[in-house]
Amino acid sequence: MNNDIRTHHPDGQGELMAHAVDACVHCGFCLPACPTYALLGDEMDSPRGRIVLIKEVLEGALPLYDAAPHLDRCLGCQACVTACPSGVPYGELITSFRGWSEPQRQRSPLDRAKRASILKILPAPKVFSLAARVGQFAKPLAPLLPNALRSPLDLLPEHVPAMQPSAAFTPARGQRRGRVAFLVGCAQQALAPNFNAATLRVLARNGIEVVIPDGQGCCGAAALHTGARGEALKLVRANLAAFNPDDFDAILSNAAGCGAGLKEYPAILHGLPDEAQAQAFAAKVQDISEYLGALLEDGELEPPMPTSRPLKVAYHDACHLAHAQGVRSAPRALLRAIPGVTVLEVPEGDLCCGSAGTYNLEQPELATQLGVRKAKNILSTAPDLIASGNIGCHTQIQSHARRQGSPVPVMHTIEVLDLAYRGEL
Amino acid sequence: MTIGKAVRPEKQALTPSLGDSLPKSKGGSLHPLAATLTRLLGPRKVLSNLSERLNYRYDAIAFGATPLCVVLPESTADVVAAVKAARAVGVPIVGRGAASGLSGGAAPTEPGLVISFTRMTRLSIDPVRREALAQAGVITLSVTEAAKPFGLIYPPDPASFRTSTIGGNLAENAGGPLCFKYGVTGDYVQGLEFVDADGEVHSLTRDAYDLAGLLIGSEGTLGLITQATLRLTTPPQFTRTLMAHFAEVGQCAEAVSAAIAAGAVPSKLEFMDRACTNAIEDYLHLGLPREAEALLLVDTDGNDLETVEEERALVEAACRNAGGTVRRAESDAEAAQLWQARRSVSPALGRIRPQRMNEDIVVPRSVLPEVVREIRALGDASGLHLVQFGHIGDGNLHPNILFDPRTESLEAVHDLAHEVARVAIRHGGVLSGEHGIGSMKLAFMREAVDAGTLAALWRVKHALDPHGALNPGKVLPAEEA
Repeated sequence: MNNDIRTHHPDGQGELMAHAVDACVHCGFCLPACPTYALLGDEMDSPRGRIVLIKEVLEGALPLYDAAPHLDRCLGCQACVTACPSGVPYGELITSFRGWSEPQRQRSPLDRAKRASILKILPAPKVFSLAARVGQFAKPLAPLLPNALRSPLDLLPEHVPAMQPSAAFTPARGQRRGRVAFLVGCAQQALAPNFNAATLRVLARNGIEVVIPDGQGCCGAAALHTGARGEALKLVRANLAAFNPDDFDAILSNAAGCGAGLKEYPAILHGLPDEAQAQAFAAKVQDISEYLGALLEDGELEPPMPTSRPLKVAYHDACHLAHAQGVRSAPRALLRAIPGVTVLEVPEGDLCCGSAGTYNLEQPELATQLGVRKAKNILSTAPDLIASGNIGCHTQIQSHARRQGSPVPVMHTIEVLDLAYRGEL
Repeated sequence: MTIGKAVRPEKQALTPSLGDSLPKSKGGSLHPLAATLTRLLGPRKVLSNLSERLNYRYDAIAFGATPLCVVLPESTADVVAAVKAARAVGVPIVGRGAASGLSGGAAPTEPGLVISFTRMTRLSIDPVRREALAQAGVITLSVTEAAKPFGLIYPPDPASFRTSTIGGNLAENAGGPLCFKYGVTGDYVQGLEFVDADGEVHSLTRDAYDLAGLLIGSEGTLGLITQATLRLTTPPQFTRTLMAHFAEVGQCAEAVSAAIAAGAVPSKLEFMDRACTNAIEDYLHLGLPREAEALLLVDTDGNDLETVEEERALVEAACRNAGGTVRRAESDAEAAQLWQARRSVSPALGRIRPQRMNEDIVVPRSVLPEVVREIRALGDASGLHLVQFGHIGDGNLHPNILFDPRTESLEAVHDLAHEVARVAIRHGGVLSGEHGIGSMKLAFMREAVDAGTLAALWRVKHALDPHGALNPGKVLPAEEA
């Protein structure tokens, strides 16, 4: 698609956006992959349509407020990136565009307050945990509240667990085979502290020592994807300062959204002096399943114990793992490595569950439709257990599966592995 | 890697999210047609904001004029209302499916009404009659998916079958790899319903005058197809896949001619040249031979495994005799991967240059080696990026000129396209195998079709669309005064 965005926006982000728009040949292969196109069936709410809208806005031919509703409905799931034969970096495009356009948005005071509070609470686990606890008690009042306040409450689990701070250093058990740094993540510390505990146990069991560098913080993805570029840059730079890639074999995350965020650092800093530093950092970033999957492939993974009975595990591909990071086979291989486990494929597996960062809070209606559809699809496989690698998907699937009356447990892939190591599966 | 299961759009009302309560587009005031149609059909089916209309001016190759208004009908009655309203104010009408076409067919040449069929997705299967009744907006792949539980399939398989709609396939008479053995879209149509230029509804079968045949491939210039009865068939029990690569494009064409002459009737015979293979490799990383000048993909199929294997052996021998290297797909998964590669050729070419001119010529198989060599030579001499792929078994080739409009001359691109078209015409070929003429090949029509025949085509057009309201500027070059 021809464009003259570079002339209007001569900085690094302008160049990045122009390249992405240029790469689109508007073939339409992305349409069937897009969740909002699946729900709404119109071109404006498809990736191809959004690229056209972005181009028109960037070139000054279309007012931002006219295009914004359609761009806001994009989940950022990047299923279109997987489907695109032309290699359009859509994820980078929408992220850069949101960063560019947010300062120009006119939002209502309530909307502004909501967004500001999300960005304050989400990256601060202690505050988040406190808010979640308060929210837990407010849950019964949810039906009486306006939509803006109701949607976050709907997402909260019935029981908010106690925080479990992770040790700054976890030694390897047995012979030391590696040394990694670990990003602890934000929301999941409050909502699912066992994700991190299980991760540290599984790594230690495999002879990997884990450092949780001081000074690390939120990966910045939530800020970035809601367009708060200034805020995101601060968080990115704090992490670049906290993690020295030379000190570790890998920098690991166990939340697909955060991992994808870390891998995006070079694009965020494109054209800025610290771009090279971001590249060195991102080259070391791996999802926990990628890292353990490589051990498995090399025949070096500690063998897990067999399950007590045959276990059917439905594996859900988190968009930020499958589409944004291209990690599909490793988590499945890890689950299959547990004797007694059968991995089930989910119908419409490539379709987003609707959680997508803050999407649940900003587009509750579409998020709910997708959540219902995802839960139905997963439950149609009649699993004994549901596994996934992202906290957002986890809460969404859990909440919709419960609403559909299903008691099937929902776990992080690493939790499943951890239970297998302990002979408790 | 999969493109994702085809999902049928479900209609949803949508409450605007927070932050949407801001002024709507100032990009031109509401056209009276949009106001009328909103009153008739309700706001959910009518798009009038600039942000919405801008997205209905393109297909997969061309950008056209921004429509005045877009209608998303949910029934034939909605289409009738839209056509009548547009005719009352005298604006042109363009039908649109998923806009994955490659000849500019769905891109309006002037501002008017676009009728987008993506919400007309009713589909039913009659297993006893072996038929599917599909509304225009049904996604091609879903017909086969719905037929599968009854042990049936719908063979037409354009590369865009996960995206494209039945209505669009009918408008362009789309083909696909399977058309060598099984035929194109038009061969599967038992009957049609269409809305004419006056907004009247007609139901056609293929007896008496084959008016359905006239509508198929007419690119929305004679009427708007709203639903079709499609013939279904049983799938072959066995399929075998083979890939061969060659050091020169002509060798590949020789192998194809020889294999068919020896009596093989493969279900698919597809060719791509080196640039295509490399674009695909950049996308899918399958380990295709990047150095080969031509790649041939072949399926043989049927219900008798021995014959299927024999046919594959015939093709294999023909490839080796022509100097090719052969690899057999050892599993269904390997075969599926190779075919995904072939389906992705067209869009993957965007990796080489942002724009392209797409040809869709068909030539007699006997002259294939000569034609592909001549076209290769034209490309090499032009200094432009010319690539070739296509359904070579049918003699249907897609020479594509890839270019960057900022650095390369559009005139040179057009001249080269014209030369390529002339090669086809000179060897007794035609301008379009499956993508239609649209607006892209309009200029070559006068050379490809004699004046008397063009005049006859115009008389048909005038009979069915006397005011020239339906998709103006497509298929037929303007009449000379």
